[in-house]
Amino acid sequence: MERIKNHPILGASPAGKLVDFYYDGKKLQGYEGEPIAMALRVNGIMIHRYTAKRHEPRGVFCAIGRCTDCVMVVDGQPNVRTCITPLREGMKVQTQYGATADPDFGAAKKGKGGASV
Amino acid sequence: MKVERKELIVIGAGPAGLSAAIEAASHGVKATVFDENARPGGQLFKQIHKFFGSKEHKAKIRGFRIGEDLLKEAEEKGVEVVLNATVIGLYKEKEVQVQIGTEVHHYKGDAILVATGAAENMVNFRGWTLPGVIGAGAAQTMMNLYHVKPGERILMLGTGNVGLVVSYQLMQAGCKVVALADAAPRIGGYGVHASKLARCGVPFYLSHTIKEAEGTDCVTGVTIAQVDDHFRFIPGTEKHFDVDTICVAVGLSPMAQLLKMDGVEMADTRGGYIPKCDETGATSIPGIYAAGDVAGIEEASSAMIEGRMSGAAIAEYLGYMTGEEKSSREEELDHSLEALRQGMFAPKNRGKKIEKTEEGIDISETLLTKGYIADDEIKRFPGYRCEAKVHPVIECTQNIPCNPCQTACRKGCISIGDNITSLPISVKGSECIDCGMCVASCSGQAIFLVKKNEDEGTSEITIPYEFLPLPEVGDKGSALSRSGQRICEAEITRVRTSKAYDGTNLVTMKVPTAFEDSARFFIKA
Repeated sequence: MERIKNHPILGASPAGKLVDFYYDGKKLQGYEGEPIAMALRVNGIMIHRYTAKRHEPRGVFCAIGRCTDCVMVVDGQPNVRTCITPLREGMKVQTQYGATADPDFGAAKKGKGGASV
Repeated sequence: MKVERKELIVIGAGPAGLSAAIEAASHGVKATVFDENARPGGQLFKQIHKFFGSKEHKAKIRGFRIGEDLLKEAEEKGVEVVLNATVIGLYKEKEVQVQIGTEVHHYKGDAILVATGAAENMVNFRGWTLPGVIGAGAAQTMMNLYHVKPGERILMLGTGNVGLVVSYQLMQAGCKVVALADAAPRIGGYGVHASKLARCGVPFYLSHTIKEAEGTDCVTGVTIAQVDDHFRFIPGTEKHFDVDTICVAVGLSPMAQLLKMDGVEMADTRGGYIPKCDETGATSIPGIYAAGDVAGIEEASSAMIEGRMSGAAIAEYLGYMTGEEKSSREEELDHSLEALRQGMFAPKNRGKKIEKTEEGIDISETLLTKGYIADDEIKRFPGYRCEAKVHPVIECTQNIPCNPCQTACRKGCISIGDNITSLPISVKGSECIDCGMCVASCSGQAIFLVKKNEDEGTSEITIPYEFLPLPEVGDKGSALSRSGQRICEAEITRVRTSKAYDGTNLVTMKVPTAFEDSARFFIKA
């Protein structure tokens, strides 16, 4: 999704400081200090994680840190609420599978008929 | 374990919590506010529309500006605001556990105010967990705080004020709102908010809800269908829309977990699970108070007054005010709160179908089901008048507590009277000077200035305009009706912007006089 450049009520959007960060190893850019979820959205990334049992995609729902649907693995730490965690330069953001950054996690469980995490 | 003593602990730095802290502090109480967010203000900074009410309720001021004023006042009064501080425990001894970073701190307050607000509700439908299905509040957060478009093409589920206001804000952010759907048979929010959307051509589907959100990785479309009186889908009524985002605005629930935890008496009401409290927010445990949405869902204006009332009651409880002083302050605030709780949408009228206005005029049925007032309905309301010289036409047809238009006009062209829910009257024979202040001051964007050029058979209609790009003088296009249909050619003859209008631009278009009672929006080319 695009950034809003000019808004009829809020005026010109403030110019942020662009920094590099890594999404599943790929270098992307976002504004320093904005929630990670916003930086991902403007880069067109909607899927933040896959559920453990059914391997279903999840993304942002509430955007205020309440629903935890948007959690990802950030700098190695799982279950980070990306909608309220500020973006920092060099951050490593990974899609979360179940509670890990391992894509085989959910799939393997699914193959075995599902297990809960 | 170290326990720090505080005089007043407020949980939540939204409109209710900040107002309570400010009020208590102004009587001498040392107030500390904890909030889990990185910024104070709760949801106020996402509210970019002008508020309703009268001057004492900060009517016609945009929500985020009210937030800025509150923060300034809190600072002036010496209120301590601790951010990124999540209250994780509240006990009946008025003890509070606060998580800051990875540490848990322990406090004891002489008084506690819980002002934790509310969370958005959700409804289930096939595909409801797909990325791209978001809360209406999430949309506001993305676009109004972080300047990111929530989506390109959006369907809104819910026609309460949140659904209506957020849909309009999505359009202001440059998104396309394809439709609004609601399982209820009537639009739940203010008719004036619905009309702002309808005149831009946004359709309303009442007695419709989402059957399925489509897509594998994220939303690529949505199917809605009509429901019967028992909310069962009626086969064959499905309608599909290509969308990338579905916004859900189906109400709010009080976040009263902390109150339940500390053991105050709770009540299961139609408005959610809330603490039993008196009008000052005093719960069943002396010294523990609740204010704002956590004590029953209303809106920010009433939350601020409730907060003030709790703040005064706490000041008395802690010995900073006499009972007499408190009663007099409470009376003053109560008067202000009661004014907001009147009219068609008052808490006491929830779920009722109102058929006539307070003046005894039949309510516009089209407004309730399609979002606009039909051409044959508008003339029965007192805001309508037809004259050759410039005059305001006020399309405000439901009794809501709001009166800035009356004070905006210095020439007495608009009359509401002392009862702020009365419908505004466009006063016959009054001398409008075309200043446009009424158009800009109407939070519902429901006032238009109409003037006939009798010699050339045209009329000029001045409309409120809050989108980009702003039309320019000489632009040619079409006039849209209240229902958003192109009805005739139109040319822009004047565009006014002013600091006094606060973002509401005044655009004047010239149309054939035959369309002066129906042309209400402009689209270029």
